[in-house]
Amino acid sequence: MRFKNLLIIIFIFSIGTRISAQTWVVPDDQKAVVAPFKFTPDMQKQGEQLYQKNCQSCHGIPGKDNWAKLTPPPGDLSKEKAQKQTDGEMFYRITTGKVPMPEFRNILSEDDRWWVIAYLRSYNPKYVQPNPVAKAAFTGRTVALALKYSDPMKKIVVTATEQLKDGRSGLAAGVEVMLFVKRYFGSMQVGDVKTTNARGEAVFEFPADLPGNKDGYVEVSARVNDPKGVMKTTPATANLGIALPTDKPSLTASRAWWSTRGNAPIWILLTYTLSVIIVWGFIIYIVISILKIRKLSRG
Amino acid sequence: MTMDDNKMTFEKITGDLTHHIRINKGFLAWMGFLTVSLLVCLYAYSLQLRNGLGVAGIRDYVTWGMYLANFVFFVAASLIGMLISAVLGLIGMKWLTPITRIAETIAVAFAAVAGLVIVSDMGRPERLAYVFIYGRPQSPILWDVTVITTYFVLSLLLLFLPMIADMAIIHRKVATLPSWLKPVYKALSLNFTDHPAQNKIINRAIRILLILLIPAALSIHTVTSWLFAVTSRAGWDSTIFGPYFVSGAFVAGSAAVIIAMFFFRRNYKLEDYLTDMHFNNMGKVLATVSLVYLYFNINEFLVPGYKLKRADAVHLQELFAGKDALMFWIVQIGGLILPILFLLFRRFRKPLPILLISIAVLIAAWFKRYLIVIPTQEHPFLPIQHVPHNFVHYSPTLIETLITIAPFILVLIIITLISKFFPVIPLHETAREKGIEHIKFD
Repeated sequence: MRFKNLLIIIFIFSIGTRISAQTWVVPDDQKAVVAPFKFTPDMQKQGEQLYQKNCQSCHGIPGKDNWAKLTPPPGDLSKEKAQKQTDGEMFYRITTGKVPMPEFRNILSEDDRWWVIAYLRSYNPKYVQPNPVAKAAFTGRTVALALKYSDPMKKIVVTATEQLKDGRSGLAAGVEVMLFVKRYFGSMQVGDVKTTNARGEAVFEFPADLPGNKDGYVEVSARVNDPKGVMKTTPATANLGIALPTDKPSLTASRAWWSTRGNAPIWILLTYTLSVIIVWGFIIYIVISILKIRKLSRG
Repeated sequence: MTMDDNKMTFEKITGDLTHHIRINKGFLAWMGFLTVSLLVCLYAYSLQLRNGLGVAGIRDYVTWGMYLANFVFFVAASLIGMLISAVLGLIGMKWLTPITRIAETIAVAFAAVAGLVIVSDMGRPERLAYVFIYGRPQSPILWDVTVITTYFVLSLLLLFLPMIADMAIIHRKVATLPSWLKPVYKALSLNFTDHPAQNKIINRAIRILLILLIPAALSIHTVTSWLFAVTSRAGWDSTIFGPYFVSGAFVAGSAAVIIAMFFFRRNYKLEDYLTDMHFNNMGKVLATVSLVYLYFNINEFLVPGYKLKRADAVHLQELFAGKDALMFWIVQIGGLILPILFLLFRRFRKPLPILLISIAVLIAAWFKRYLIVIPTQEHPFLPIQHVPHNFVHYSPTLIETLITIAPFILVLIIITLISKFFPVIPLHETAREKGIEHIKFD
């Protein structure tokens, strides 16, 4: 009885692991996507450079099976397992990524991604490129953002305008907007995602205690939240004097343990230098007196 | 003192202590073996130079690995010169006379090579000078380089000064000396003629060196311990790392001296000079320093084990019952507790038993450094994720092992050369102590 239970558990577990290893499913419409242009040797060369920069650290040099030992294994992309994918599958996987593989949507442009595929296909002698299909004309919204600080409201107002079908521009309602301030390491989001109202406006509270530079300026930027990439968007950036003026000296500006060599604490410099001078002074004294021994012999 | 001691003539002492200074087949074979082994290891190092540190098992987390464990071991072993010559010597322990030069030879050899050991962990060894050019006086790394250099020079001088009189005796009295060596000894003897002024200079210089040696030696191993202890990593974040390292160094060094005593006594037929009494006393020294080290070990594990901060808990779990447990308990029991128990009995302080104990202690001492360096690096504060398996668990490669062995071969070469061409036991001092007053130097 117990043995049977164990078998069932093993069976379920093995199915579970198989499923989890195969769950990177590419939607059928994406599978069928083909490149918008014919691959050329020049593109392959460009793709090779992009591959070396972005892909090689995990996937290794194509054909050498020297991919990084990760779970799941990245695999050698010149091999059959990778090459039997359609171009669309490759494109989708590069675009979306799946942990631990990063998504390259915002790192490589669409053309870049196709060039990498062109390069990878150069390792497959059997590959015949499907006829290119030029990208359909863009039908989504084209949105541009502007931002300003409203003194009476003490808030940041982001205004979205869009290109209308008839060529005129108008205020864009229902656009999701995010606000960021620039910090030392990247950007920090301020507040939540907001949706523009009928006047095309999204209003953000700005924290009163946010440190700025010594004159109180911070770089504020607004971006459209468009994770699926269905719009053409233009972000807005502005330097606003609305933050707390902060003029802290750099941590390495004064003498300290952690500071640079030139800013070592005086007492360390003195202790170190004096110790070295005293001990080596004695050493030099001893060496000189050893040399004297020669002259002092009897007779 | 036996009756024999009183009957010893100056000629017999000189003969006994210098008869090994000649080039024989055994020496050539041994040096040939060492040279070939060294060449093999140097080839491994050339592979590392050409292909980078990736040929070793060290990766992003365990960046130091065996190289740094080896470095700590070498610095540790070199400390014995200070314990034997300076501490015990200044107290006035006369029985030490025949052992001082052995201890100094070991100190010089290990200190000379310790600096090279650290270079083996450098990806760009040609930038070694940058440590001085761009070194920060706030950094223990600069202090370490400074004190190791200083300690090496002090030890070298302390090895040389008592040898001046010996050189004078050898180039005058030893008929069997190869002729090409005579001018070398004459030059090294610095025209020593036992002139009172000469003795005064030598004695004063030795005294200054012995006093300087104590802070210098304490510094080198304390600073080496600070390379670890100034970080907040589990297993290194300790205020007693300095004395913990220093006491551990005395254990390793005493064992090394006992092993050297045994082989010199046997190969150079020095049974009349390195007697059972010396082994007995060195056994007591080893037991004493081991007890001190045991005391620091208890402190080092009991206190964090009681508080069990999260990172310490992970670290101690791996040491006591996890991946490193087998090595840890063999080292602690086989290299520390059992040797202490055995050494309490006189019969285990006889030459052969104490040789075996010392070999166990010395091997354990090396693995103890491994356990200090590697497990801590395997347990970083931030979780290890999305990395290859060989980043997570450190396993040394063959090339790395050969590069780790190379410094040992170098140390053996240095010890062999010094002991082969100079008296292992201070000649002039021994003669004086055996009551021979009038040694003619003219």
